[in-house]
Amino acid sequence: MSRLLFWIAGGFVLGGLIHLVVILTLPGAATRDIWNRFEDIAPLETLVVLDDIAPGEPNPLGLDPELLYGVCRLELGDGPGVVNGQLPLAFWSVAVFNAKGHVIYATTNRSGSGQLLDMGIFNPAQTRLLAEQRFEIDEGLLIVEAGGNDVAVVVRLAPPHRAMRERYREALAGLSCATIR
Amino acid sequence: MGLLFRLLVGLAVAICVGFGASYYALTDGRLFAAVRVGPWAAWPDVGQPMPDPYTRAYLARSGSLQLGYAEGIQFTAFTDDSGDPLDAHCSYRVTGFVPGASFWTLVATDLRGVSIAASPNLPALHSERVARTGEGALVATISASLAPGNWLEIEGDGAFKLLLTLYDAVVFSGGNTTIEDMPSIEKVACP
Repeated sequence: MSRLLFWIAGGFVLGGLIHLVVILTLPGAATRDIWNRFEDIAPLETLVVLDDIAPGEPNPLGLDPELLYGVCRLELGDGPGVVNGQLPLAFWSVAVFNAKGHVIYATTNRSGSGQLLDMGIFNPAQTRLLAEQRFEIDEGLLIVEAGGNDVAVVVRLAPPHRAMRERYREALAGLSCATIR
Repeated sequence: MGLLFRLLVGLAVAICVGFGASYYALTDGRLFAAVRVGPWAAWPDVGQPMPDPYTRAYLARSGSLQLGYAEGIQFTAFTDDSGDPLDAHCSYRVTGFVPGASFWTLVATDLRGVSIAASPNLPALHSERVARTGEGALVATISASLAPGNWLEIEGDGAFKLLLTLYDAVVFSGGNTTIEDMPSIEKVACP
């Protein structure tokens, strides 16, 4: 009996190791994580507004049906990224993702920029040039330092009523998302 | 024979503990990285630039578009207040104060995340379009059958979940990272 308990205890220890290996290796092994999905849905330097998800339709990104989503990808090796434009007077937020699918920067309309979104995204080398004042930037530009060259930008916009949805969609599609070459 | 039996028992325990704990950590997760308030659960670190290993694994597994830390937080409920799984055949009343946020939505989906709203014109309840009590609390009914007041009509059968997403949540801007009160989920009727 004591031998069996010993093997069961060994099983718990081995199970703990399996658990740690699963948790630590899963992010690297995942093929359907958010960055892979960005590569499918978000073109480089073009902001696209995602289609509405109707009830009953698959929703792999977990999109909120009340919000509108604009997404684009930027390759900062081509130059600093700029996302700017005017948004309607409603809740909006912007998030910058790195290639690991983690949010490295996020803000909302309540942070003080109101209806104007004006954001610059810089890789480490560009950030250094920025610190040395080699770039001329507009006052009020939101500065985001990315750890690498691959980033994705997601802008969320919340129309207060369904009737305003198309107008808000057009406003979101009017945002510019590009690199300065 | 005895050695082989003990070896198989040990391996079975290892596989059950290893994969079972991993599955639990990435679904319920309350002992690991998720926080719970009543029936509601959230992963507060999903929007961080450097999430902890459990949250990283959860993100890789879900593949969903998470909110950044400054954007808000999403709570999920799979059960009502008494711990019974939410059933699309039943009627539920969601009552109480929603934590402060610039905008919030309440969505019903099946367990795969597919919306079970009955109408594409009313896929969710949200803060701009609900009536509140005199004190500012929310009283909403989630059901397939007609209900007075704030009503999110759903359809389908089987288990479902409720997603309460707080955008620009005050909990993050005020320096206080705890949410003590969330709306209750009470089963009203079940045919």
